[in-house]
Amino acid sequence: MTEKETLSWKGRSGVFLPLLAVVIVLVIISELIGIIKISLGPGTVVLLPMLFAVIMGMLITPAILGKRISALKKLVNDDTMELAGVGVMIALIPLGVRYGTLVGPNIVKVLEAGPALILQELGNLLTPVIAIPLALLLGLKREAVGAAVSICREPTLGVIGEKYGMDSPEGNGVLGTYMVGTVFGTIFFGFLGSLAINTGLHPYALAMATGVGSGSMMAAGSAALAATVPAAIKDTVLAYAATSNMLTGITGIYSVIFIALPFTNWYYKKIAPKFEKKGTPVEVQGGE
Amino acid sequence: MDLVKISNQFKLMLCVGVLILTGQLVSSGASPIVALPGMLIIILLSMVALILKDLIPWRLPAFAWATFIAFVLTLPMLPTSDFLLGYINKVGFLATTTPILAFAGISVGNKIGVLKKISWKLVIIALVVFTSTFFGSAIIAQILLTVQGTI
Repeated sequence: MTEKETLSWKGRSGVFLPLLAVVIVLVIISELIGIIKISLGPGTVVLLPMLFAVIMGMLITPAILGKRISALKKLVNDDTMELAGVGVMIALIPLGVRYGTLVGPNIVKVLEAGPALILQELGNLLTPVIAIPLALLLGLKREAVGAAVSICREPTLGVIGEKYGMDSPEGNGVLGTYMVGTVFGTIFFGFLGSLAINTGLHPYALAMATGVGSGSMMAAGSAALAATVPAAIKDTVLAYAATSNMLTGITGIYSVIFIALPFTNWYYKKIAPKFEKKGTPVEVQGGE
Repeated sequence: MDLVKISNQFKLMLCVGVLILTGQLVSSGASPIVALPGMLIIILLSMVALILKDLIPWRLPAFAWATFIAFVLTLPMLPTSDFLLGYINKVGFLATTTPILAFAGISVGNKIGVLKKISWKLVIIALVVFTSTFFGSAIIAQILLTVQGTI
């Protein structure tokens, strides 16, 4: 079903109404639980309502509780889940607007931080530097290039898919990181965002780092981070996160094509032979 | 421009507005009536973002468009800034995040099966990728902000 067909109400009230009913219940329960702060060793983990919403949402799908409770299976089925995917896309946009209204009034601070905001994108090159050797150690080959080239959101998926094909080892790798990100990304970034403050890195630097090019991951990371900083700098933290994410939205696909992918391929060719076991030559070609 | 698609997006966007105001009422007791004008402005700007995404071929996500439009309109030197912020700030920031993730949780239900087929090695790599992307950027930002004297 195309996005347009999924969005159409015509003859589909039986999909829309159950989904909206389920979501409003999830929202109410999550907001009733509210913000929970747990002391954990040296730091505090902040659990925001959005975290409860995503976990409960997953739990009620047929993959988990739905297969045991048949009433739930009627409510949340394949059609519901497909519409929920479109719902994510629509519901994200008001959040984008809300972030923009945090950036505008803070324009002076954003401009002051300009060079850092733009250049921190290069931090993404650390990803293959660390993840490729680890992947080779685990015995992965060209999958490593797809999996570790970047955080693998939709633009990367497109670039790798076009260049190597989705059924290639590279395609397999990029799909792995993409799927793990889709399912666990927000939860993972929520924890990273609230725990990262304990590293001693400045909240502004961490804020910029949450702008990885996925609206929902940025939101999870930056909102959790904002809950751990003094109230006076909260808006600046969110403004930096939003600006960084907006810049990644603009530059993301080009930095994968022109910087991250050539660099990852070069790096792979350089280090892969060092991991080669006797008799199993490492495939270093993989299309060019 | 595809008016049918836009009107259907608008309908779902209105539902999202109801979800956000309901969440805000539950979490802080904030009156949905007070926040309603701000919510309607947010929905209007969101629709502009969706339309621009389809009209302008820059491959820019609608989310980035939305941030950009709201950013420009709330620049302090523009007359729209105080007017818009007065209304939009009545809509809580966190309240806009909860419905997204409720949808997201449900939508990944049919992907959990695919995830089971992915090798555990790729799952480890993915988590390492997230962590190193995050800290890679944070470390560079920290260095540059220190050099710039911002922090």
